[in-house]
Amino acid sequence: MFDSVIAASIYLGSFENILYLCLGVTVGLVFGTIPGLGGATAIALLLPLTFGMEAEQAMILMGGIMGAVAIGGSISAILLNTPGTAPNAATCFDGYPLTQQGKAGIAIGAAATASALGGIIGLGILVMVIPVAKSIVLLFGPPAFFMMAVLGLTSLVAASDNLLRGLIAACVGLFVAFIGYDEIGGELRYTAGIDYLWDGISLVPILIGLFAIAEMAKLFVKGGTIAQTPTDGDLTRITGTLDGVKAVFKNPKTLLAGSTIGSLVGMVPGVGGTVASFMSYSFTAQFSKNNENFGKGDIRGVIAPEASNNAKDGGSLIPTLAFGIPGSAEMALFLGVLVLHGMTPGPMLLIEREYSIFVLILALLLSTIFGAIIMLSASRYLVKITYIDSSILIPTVISIAMVGAYALHGSIGDVFAAGFFGLLGYLMIRFDYPRITFVIALVLGSLMERSFTQSLLMFQGDWTRFMTEGTSRILFILTVIALLVPILHKLRKYWRAS
Amino acid sequence: MVLKSLTTLMFASVLGLTSYAQADFPEKEVSIVIPYGPGGGFDLAVRSFAPFFAKQFGEDTVVLPVNKPGAGGRLGTATLYRAKPDGYTLAIINLPGFALPEILNEKVDYDLRKMSWIGRLESQNYFLLVSAKSDIYTLEDLQNQDKITFLSTGYGSTVLAAAQIAAASLGLNEKSPVYITGYESTSNALVGLVRGDGNVAVSPVSSSSKYIESGDLRAIAVSGDEAVDDVQTFAQLGYPNLTQLNLDRAIAGPPGMAPELLAKLRKAFDAAVQDPEFLAQAKKARMDVLPLNGEQAQESLEDSYRFYEQFSTSLSNPNAN
Repeated sequence: MFDSVIAASIYLGSFENILYLCLGVTVGLVFGTIPGLGGATAIALLLPLTFGMEAEQAMILMGGIMGAVAIGGSISAILLNTPGTAPNAATCFDGYPLTQQGKAGIAIGAAATASALGGIIGLGILVMVIPVAKSIVLLFGPPAFFMMAVLGLTSLVAASDNLLRGLIAACVGLFVAFIGYDEIGGELRYTAGIDYLWDGISLVPILIGLFAIAEMAKLFVKGGTIAQTPTDGDLTRITGTLDGVKAVFKNPKTLLAGSTIGSLVGMVPGVGGTVASFMSYSFTAQFSKNNENFGKGDIRGVIAPEASNNAKDGGSLIPTLAFGIPGSAEMALFLGVLVLHGMTPGPMLLIEREYSIFVLILALLLSTIFGAIIMLSASRYLVKITYIDSSILIPTVISIAMVGAYALHGSIGDVFAAGFFGLLGYLMIRFDYPRITFVIALVLGSLMERSFTQSLLMFQGDWTRFMTEGTSRILFILTVIALLVPILHKLRKYWRAS
Repeated sequence: MVLKSLTTLMFASVLGLTSYAQADFPEKEVSIVIPYGPGGGFDLAVRSFAPFFAKQFGEDTVVLPVNKPGAGGRLGTATLYRAKPDGYTLAIINLPGFALPEILNEKVDYDLRKMSWIGRLESQNYFLLVSAKSDIYTLEDLQNQDKITFLSTGYGSTVLAAAQIAAASLGLNEKSPVYITGYESTSNALVGLVRGDGNVAVSPVSSSSKYIESGDLRAIAVSGDEAVDDVQTFAQLGYPNLTQLNLDRAIAGPPGMAPELLAKLRKAFDAAVQDPEFLAQAKKARMDVLPLNGEQAQESLEDSYRFYEQFSTSLSNPNAN
């Protein structure tokens, strides 16, 4: 194993290969920043370029993209409340409030640092678990998937400020997730005869509407700029990027928790980075000390999801490489690249092609670091976006958002969906319903439903076996704990007060 | 019906008038619609094939793969069906996948029999698989199981249909087998089989060979005419009616293509699938290139309809609400 690492680093060190890596990082950052484009589009675009390459070079290029995309995506999440890619959605909840308080520099600094360190930790965990990778993947059958979705939903709803509103938003999210063709029952649901709805509404246009468009609507009503103008009027000085970098090192627990959850959830096949970053956000929000400030601009709310969505790359390589079951569109495309270069994913790939895998791991590692450095050095210029007057900013952001929504599948239906969810998002802000429980329910809904039906077929209808067997039993216990913790918190506060 | 043939006739006459332009075909890029998202087998087939297909038309021609996923492939197929038959829009078709809705009496916006078939690119046979840890070694062992649970992708997919046909032909239906459907891909279902979610699955040979090599799964029979390694065919094991179970990937254009244009595309296709460079690339990507020319592809489609229609009563959704 050690030989492979050294051989891989030497290979990666050649001028040509570093150039490919930089190309990947640049494309990844740009595509990550623009909502709707994302890693899948970038990989699809550069895929023909890899035809003439060696398999390892193709992996360097793709590794460059995958490592940088989530970093680029955090910029738009923090500055414009518009997740550049779906896994960045959780970063909005605290990143954007920080921007509004004029602390965008801190948020960007923390996001870049957390991403880089999260990426490194995630790859470290990957290297450690490769020998037992197979058994981890095999632990998760349909019952465990179902329980994991229940755990994710429960911990988030239980942690929301207003339980009733959190529940309502989650129910609406689940409802939206059920729109479309039910593969198991073989029926169309809630499609109202519209062809576009057959496959359900895809996540990205919903996120664009819910965050970007809703935010611009809010800004339009409020007027002015996103961030409050600093009192001394000096825009260049208040970036605070360095403070953000320091904040990550001051919160090692958050960083570690975010990275670990990210890479573990990433390993679960078919789940993907969006779930990973939401899970680590909700975990951090629920189990951190002094957590009153979450959702209002707590820096830990940026660190956890950003660490997680870079750490998940390492984890999600396991189901992709070992079983050919990708957790996201991006990974699915990457799988295509692998196959095209004669690396058919399978239980033996991790062992047979150890050298190639390490080239990929190192490329991912360097990519997150390069991406973070580029972002840190650019942050002082990027922050100025938040001081642009709304009369210029709103039309620009809305155009980019709409183009992004269209570009994803080239479907005009997605643009309408983004518009509709923009309106819904604005109403949710206006009447104080949490968007986070809505989004997580939406993300988990179809996984939850499918695995529930499959489990019942497996259990022959005996649902008590969710609580008595295998991995799902452990997740069930965690769910009960997630329900009890907020209650205990409140009780403790109540006792202390009296 | 009369109206339909009238429109076809009108189409043909309009085409006849415009056919002078076809000598210069192609004057712009040709797109091949992939009715699935990027990354899958169909996507891969087109992306590997496109550059070599383009080469047949000269240096400057570009053949563009266009992903149009949706409605289990029906959206992309319907898009092709409605496109102008000018040769600039082609698509890769899943056979029998896209014929299934019709066989299951569902309404679709296309008619595969009317399309302009350019050629079959790939063809795959199916393995009948069990976990290597199980005590099932032969078809008889499977038939003697008390409980049979198939794992498969969702209703309307080719793999589920293949599983149902296998169950019907092997006489497993008296055991009222359970079908756990809805796995996102065949690979997901196969991992489920390794994990023990169920005890049997059907899968195209190429998707499952890696699990057999790794010793996780065991194939107990294969469709088609040739035994694979030591796995015997259904015919050799006494079930010749399962020989025809297969999955084809073929290239087609919209209905009503002018004969000269179709001939030109077919010629290019036939040449491209013989290109040693393409074959080398295809081998690297582990594609199962088994070309048929346009006319043969059309005939194989008719055969496919006949084969699946005889099982149409067995193909209803096992988990309908």
